[in-house]
Amino acid sequence: MTSWIVFRREIAQFLTTPFAYVIGAAVLLLTGILFNRDLNISFSTKPADPALVPSILSFAMVFFAPLLTMRMFAEERREGTMELLLTAPVRELSIVLGKFLGAWAYFTLLLLFTGIYQIILVNITAPDLGHALSAYIGIWLYGGATLTVGMVFSALTENQIVAAFLGMVALMLLWLADQAGQLFSNIDVAIIFRTMSLQGHFSTSFASGLMRAEDVAFFAGIIAVMLFITAQILESQRWHG
Amino acid sequence: MTDAMIEVTRLTKRFGDRIAVDHISFSAKPGEVVGLLGPNGAGKTTTMRVLTGFLPPSEGGAKIAGHDVVTDSLNARRNVGYLPERVPVYPDMTVREYVLFWARLRGRRDARARADAVIAQVNLSERRDTLIRNLSKGMRQRLGFAQALAHDPPVLILDEPTIGIDPRQVIEVRDTVRELGRTKTVLFSTHILSEADHVCDRVVILHQGRIVAQGKPSDLKRKLRPDATLEEVFLSIIGTERGAGK
Amino acid sequence: MKRTASASIVIRRRTLGMLGNILGVAGVVVGVIGLIWTGAPGNTVIATFAFGIGGILLWAVATPQEFTGFFSGRQVRFGTMAIVSTILLIGIVALVYLQLLRAAWTFDATQATRYTLSPETERVLSRLSSPMRIIGFYSSRALTTREIDDQFFRLYETATNGLISREYIDPDEQPAIARRYGVQYDGQVFLANVRDDGTVDLATLARVPRGDAQERDITEAIARQMIAGRLTIYFDIGLGERGPLDTTQEGISAVFAGVQESGINARTLDLAQIAAQGGDIPPDASAVLFVRPLRDLTESEIQTVARYLDAGGALLLLTDVLFSEQPFLSESGAFNQFLLENYGIGALDAVVVDPGLSAQTPLDVISAYVFAESDIAARLDPAVSPTLFSVARAVDVKLSETPSNIATGRVIFTTDQAYGETNLTLLGETNTFQYDEGVDLPGPLTTVAWSTNVQTGAKLVLIGDGDFVANGRIVTTDGAVTVPGNGILFTDSVVWLTELSEEIDFQPQLYGQALPLIFVSQQQMDLIAFITIIFMPTAVLLIGIGVWMRRSRR
Ligand SMILES: Nc1ncnc2c1ncn2[C@@H]1O[C@H](COP(=O)(O)OP(=O)(O)OP(=O)(O)O)[C@@H](O)[C@H]1O
Ligand SMILES: [Mg+2]
Repeated sequence: MTSWIVFRREIAQFLTTPFAYVIGAAVLLLTGILFNRDLNISFSTKPADPALVPSILSFAMVFFAPLLTMRMFAEERREGTMELLLTAPVRELSIVLGKFLGAWAYFTLLLLFTGIYQIILVNITAPDLGHALSAYIGIWLYGGATLTVGMVFSALTENQIVAAFLGMVALMLLWLADQAGQLFSNIDVAIIFRTMSLQGHFSTSFASGLMRAEDVAFFAGIIAVMLFITAQILESQRWHG
Repeated sequence: MTDAMIEVTRLTKRFGDRIAVDHISFSAKPGEVVGLLGPNGAGKTTTMRVLTGFLPPSEGGAKIAGHDVVTDSLNARRNVGYLPERVPVYPDMTVREYVLFWARLRGRRDARARADAVIAQVNLSERRDTLIRNLSKGMRQRLGFAQALAHDPPVLILDEPTIGIDPRQVIEVRDTVRELGRTKTVLFSTHILSEADHVCDRVVILHQGRIVAQGKPSDLKRKLRPDATLEEVFLSIIGTERGAGK
Repeated sequence: MKRTASASIVIRRRTLGMLGNILGVAGVVVGVIGLIWTGAPGNTVIATFAFGIGGILLWAVATPQEFTGFFSGRQVRFGTMAIVSTILLIGIVALVYLQLLRAAWTFDATQATRYTLSPETERVLSRLSSPMRIIGFYSSRALTTREIDDQFFRLYETATNGLISREYIDPDEQPAIARRYGVQYDGQVFLANVRDDGTVDLATLARVPRGDAQERDITEAIARQMIAGRLTIYFDIGLGERGPLDTTQEGISAVFAGVQESGINARTLDLAQIAAQGGDIPPDASAVLFVRPLRDLTESEIQTVARYLDAGGALLLLTDVLFSEQPFLSESGAFNQFLLENYGIGALDAVVVDPGLSAQTPLDVISAYVFAESDIAARLDPAVSPTLFSVARAVDVKLSETPSNIATGRVIFTTDQAYGETNLTLLGETNTFQYDEGVDLPGPLTTVAWSTNVQTGAKLVLIGDGDFVANGRIVTTDGAVTVPGNGILFTDSVVWLTELSEEIDFQPQLYGQALPLIFVSQQQMDLIAFITIIFMPTAVLLIGIGVWMRRSRR
């Protein structure tokens, strides 16, 4: 319930400040350019890739997620509202959850906007909509997970820029882990790296039209653990100043 | 004893090696306005932060309306309205959105009606739909009051509510505090002593984290000299302390 | 001085306690997950537990008050609580993840049901009774390929309740094993039977060819593996045939290798020698193939073949028109008469000339009509996969007045304009042909026929061309298939003769073939570009600016 109230404030914050619109326009510009490029390449030579836009977003979120979350706690601290939040009869986890849901809802809205590409494809060819849906569900969970990683760093540091930078570095590592693992000659090490990577639970499953329970569990698990850690960080800051 | 709304027992707060609050005990009954006095760095804000559940105490404890601030923190917090030293606001919200948010978050079911009532109480009705970023400092201070009162708590903790506003508004704030003090327990800090003299039923004087005196302003004054001001009382106490420290 | 010293000791103790706490709880959590995962306390699990308990002891020794405080439920330092609960949460998440990984619950969202086994595959798998293993060799570089393949492999494991299992070997880590399997490339997959003790039976090892369609590749390999070793076909080499190992253009080594690769045992047999010694064709012969023998059979050889057929044997006879004395299956020869009398089919001493449908010359006969109701011809659609016989021999089929229990039928037919040139001498010497009324055989003519004895199970396929599957005919030098119909005719003849058709009877889906391409006009492309690159982002920006301006005026 309290999460719902925080959520409403958070989503209102997204929708009333220009920042979120700038990010949204940037994302749409990026996906739009790449979508047209792919259309030109595959024009009458290969079927359209229904997972194209989600796959682009899987990389784009490495940079956009920290931008969306960097102000989340830093701003509350700067304005002093953190003190009020933490003295309200609300658990840290509810606050964190509400803020996450707000950012996730914004991301969902952005995803809905990219639905325009599917509408275009439906009109010019016959894309595999089931495949597309799977990729969208995948990127939805994936995006949620990247947002929570960004949140951890927003809670960790006072400085928004530092929070965004650290978040990007962390997500980049999570994104690259898949590739990095393959540099090791030992396949078990490579598998562990891949299991830990974001790509390992998206590129060969959701983005290929196959939904696997373990991938859902991976992203849900990341979300749960990261939110919990964020709440713990907030709480620890009471104790250590 | 049990009907005390604020009860502080041997409360201590350390920041590393520094002791900000050193074994202080005091209590406040319903309908009592208690002034927390002390020079800069005395530990007033720290005490209040512990009482509002923002900081955990290092030792000792405190209860709000019978609820321990550590073990029963949520219930304790439910009973407190808090106005921090610097009024915390969301600049991009309107006055009404802001008050509504806090009323809801602190569990008011009739949040809308309550928000409107509180906004009227602090004379901001005309500015209901103004963005907070466009409010004057005095208005922000009043908004801070509205926020603290949003859930109609029995205990109010106000950290230097009169700092940085013009004299006319200072008087208004004092009147408000006195008014609120009739039904609620108010703990408010200041270092303007005449203010405490006017408003408080009782004062607690903090110095270097310790309570150096507490009681009714009139009693404290009488102890020193029949016609002494609270200012003189304060200076004499702190003066002794400083002398003792040397 | 003294103060700082004691302070640093305190810090060290705390850090040590914290370290013990983290390692201890993490060790125990990992141990519990390991125990649940493996189901039995193995060495690693015990080691992790020991490690965890060690950590907890360290915690207890370094910071005793905190340790006892934690377990007696008294207030503890925030850090300890946070660490323990975070590790526990991660443990629970890991456990759920691993359980779901094992359960392998998947949902195939594609409209082409790309990740669902086709009914044909399921039919093949339902007949599987002995355990098999898919062994994939992937190095860490091929990990993504492995992930993709594994999604298919585990469908098989789930569908067979583990009868088909998966095993992955890293060829970089275990080069010796890779050599033993004969691994040629990263990502190569093998299939083998599993012995009772759970080890792989290397004798049954088969390579799984890799194409775009994982399912078809694997299912075909499994189907082949199921019949592997049970079927043996013999290539006769006793009547002047070239023999299956001849790799020249006229040899049939490609077909021979293909048969072997499909899991069927392929051997050679010398009919002349067997007959001379009064022996029999081996009873394990699922079929005996006579590929373009040069001479006709002797009486004792006919007897040997007859005994084999009576026992339910199967023959594939590939015969050419030969311009020699006593050629194989000469129309009036004893063997041809034997076949006609007993099985209702035989060869004719006539070369098929088909002006109606042929390649370079009317002698290069293309299948004009196919009797698709026969198993052999089912895949031989003349429009898609025609057969091509260069100098074909006409075949005689008795459709009525056959002996009892005998069923016969045509497989491939010529056009109406075709005729059977009977003047072989002239044809052989001058390469001229023309239809002579009353002498030559009027068309249409049969070039491929079959016969079966429904009582004994004996089967025969007679094909009026001896070299249609010669190396030079079915593949070019670069390995491309030239006349697909010829290969299919041979394969499906063997399949029918050996009753393989009951084992391999499927056409798993092919991905990608049905998906439509994009067709748009340039104007449409421009419109799409305008909407997606200019209109959408600008609109979002404008909305944002509008909202912000309206609000900030308040
Ligand atoms: N988060 C913190 N970390 C370290 N020291 C702190 C912290 N907060 C307060 N202190 C110290 O504790 C002491 C008491 O500070 P506090 O803010 O309670 O004083 P105060 O009475 O409110 O002073 P003022 O009148 O200036 O507001 C000061 O010495 C201050 O430096
Ligand atoms: Mg203060």
